[in-house]
Amino acid sequence: MCQNHKEPSANPSHFESISSAEEKPTHRDLLWEDYQNLIQGMRFFDPHIHMVSRTTDDYQMMAKAGIVAIIEPAFWVGQPRTGLSSFKDYYSSLVGWERFRSSQFGIKHYCTMGLNSREANNERLADEVMEILPLFAYKEGVVGIGEIGFDDQTPLEEKYYRLQLELAKKAKLPVQIHTPHRDKKRGTERSMSIALEHGLDPSWVVVDHNNEETVKSVLDQGFWAAFTIYPFTKMGNERMVNVVEKYGSERIMINSSADWGISDPLAIPKTAALMIQKGIPLEVIRMVTYQNAIDAFAKSGQIDINDFETEFQPDPNAKFHGNSILRGGQQPVPNKNSLFIQ
Amino acid sequence: MTDIPTNLTQFLFEQTTRTEREWLEEQTTKNDLDLMTAFVAAPRFLSKKIVSYDSKSKGNLIPNLIGFQVDGWNLVRLTRVWLLLHLTPEPKEQFVKNIETLFDTAELNELVALYSALPVLPYPREWLPRATDAVRSNMGFVFDSIALSNPYPELYFSELAWNQLVLKTIFNGKPIHWIYGLDRRKNKELAIAISDFIEERFAAGRKLPLQIWRLVAPFVDESKHPKLISLLNSNLQIEREVAALVCFESKNLELLSLLSKYPDLELSIKNGELDWSKIESIPE
Repeated sequence: MCQNHKEPSANPSHFESISSAEEKPTHRDLLWEDYQNLIQGMRFFDPHIHMVSRTTDDYQMMAKAGIVAIIEPAFWVGQPRTGLSSFKDYYSSLVGWERFRSSQFGIKHYCTMGLNSREANNERLADEVMEILPLFAYKEGVVGIGEIGFDDQTPLEEKYYRLQLELAKKAKLPVQIHTPHRDKKRGTERSMSIALEHGLDPSWVVVDHNNEETVKSVLDQGFWAAFTIYPFTKMGNERMVNVVEKYGSERIMINSSADWGISDPLAIPKTAALMIQKGIPLEVIRMVTYQNAIDAFAKSGQIDINDFETEFQPDPNAKFHGNSILRGGQQPVPNKNSLFIQ
Repeated sequence: MTDIPTNLTQFLFEQTTRTEREWLEEQTTKNDLDLMTAFVAAPRFLSKKIVSYDSKSKGNLIPNLIGFQVDGWNLVRLTRVWLLLHLTPEPKEQFVKNIETLFDTAELNELVALYSALPVLPYPREWLPRATDAVRSNMGFVFDSIALSNPYPELYFSELAWNQLVLKTIFNGKPIHWIYGLDRRKNKELAIAISDFIEERFAAGRKLPLQIWRLVAPFVDESKHPKLISLLNSNLQIEREVAALVCFESKNLELLSLLSKYPDLELSIKNGELDWSKIESIPE
């Protein structure tokens, strides 16, 4: 990509949007700190967030805002990987270091495993990845095959999407579908019809990154409809409130997809606060920000709600492979309001 | 598939429920790739209950491999080792590649199972780089799986690698008496390194695990005289006993005459009441 600089990039990045000039962020007009008390005591589950590209500050804020568990789908790291080893290390980090880091903030970390659609276009490497993918898909705490699906909607993307649907069926794991940024409506329909063609039960499939244009068809066909609250490119949370008002809470879930782009790991609690402010019933909010994600991914047999519903105290002395996130006597929860950084 | 010891299969099956056993039996019909997947997927089909096996009363699980023991393992670990024995051993290149792939993609519990399996896998010398790597590891459970109660290091490690293993066990504050073959592979180089370590600790006024003296004892000479005197006059009975054992095993005339000044200790050693097994304790 980008070999001919006169042409527009074939793969605009996550936060590039053709129509970004017309869209305005809508949630910066209100100050989050004024609304935090609305969600006091609530519990959230973010079923799509790429913590590998986030900082410990994010973990701290997430824990404080009530996020008790997350799912990290395997995805694109912002640049193409050049060899199988990079995939192995990345997948290992999802079940290893990242899970440990998260636990240090009292957040239960699950993940989904998959070959992302962009990198499916490198056939030689994709074949190698498919050989080792089962060795990761069956690991403990892996709650699905994801995120998989289409980006450019090429034949190679389709080939590896189909192969991974078969893996999901064999491994009895839910599927998490990434729907494309461009030509989304057709890409979403195509993803669903291929999943049905492979005999997948739609109640085992979460279709992600929905918008007002795709939601009805996804729900009508029996799939889970996930919405990503991601500034500029995906859903805004005011729009999300309208979707919930219109479609209710059944099979709808919200996530942040926060990653290396301009995104917000607090997308769920912020949306919940907005919903409360707009008078959406608490039970509806609980379903779309917590329970539905658990119900969908617990089909993997890998989610035990006791791991995050009972009072969980992180062990600040715990280590992963002998390593700690803490440096020289640090405590995991420093006083953020203090000017002194000790 | 290599010859799988009947005792091992029988013991494994005794530990399982009917559904678990059916799953295990199904795996034996699978090809290598599916077996490798089963190795990873085992916790999805089996409980993690702890198994206990007393080889003294029941005999060895693996004939001709006395040090191989599974007591205290969980069922998943035992199953994983057993599954690895079902991989096709020929051709060698393919077998080695399969094991290497499992190492490359393993999470912590899988690594523990892989290192536990090393003494029973075909082509044991192929795994030496992995095994010595595990000794360098900071992962506690991984380190334990190669260093403690595993016959592989005694059988295949070079002296240099063996000594590193023992030293690392001491530095990690783990019980050296759980290293299989410890007494058989005592050596002069190791004794020198440990002797230096003892000096350092004394200089820094720090405590040291008393058990390590057993590795020095056969090689010690009168240069350790002052330290042994201070231990023999210690308020702690265990320190007096350690010093007495060191003097006794040194076969050094000066140290033996030093020991003779403590006749009760000397007598209990000669009577077989005092030996290193009395000093074996798990570090705090």
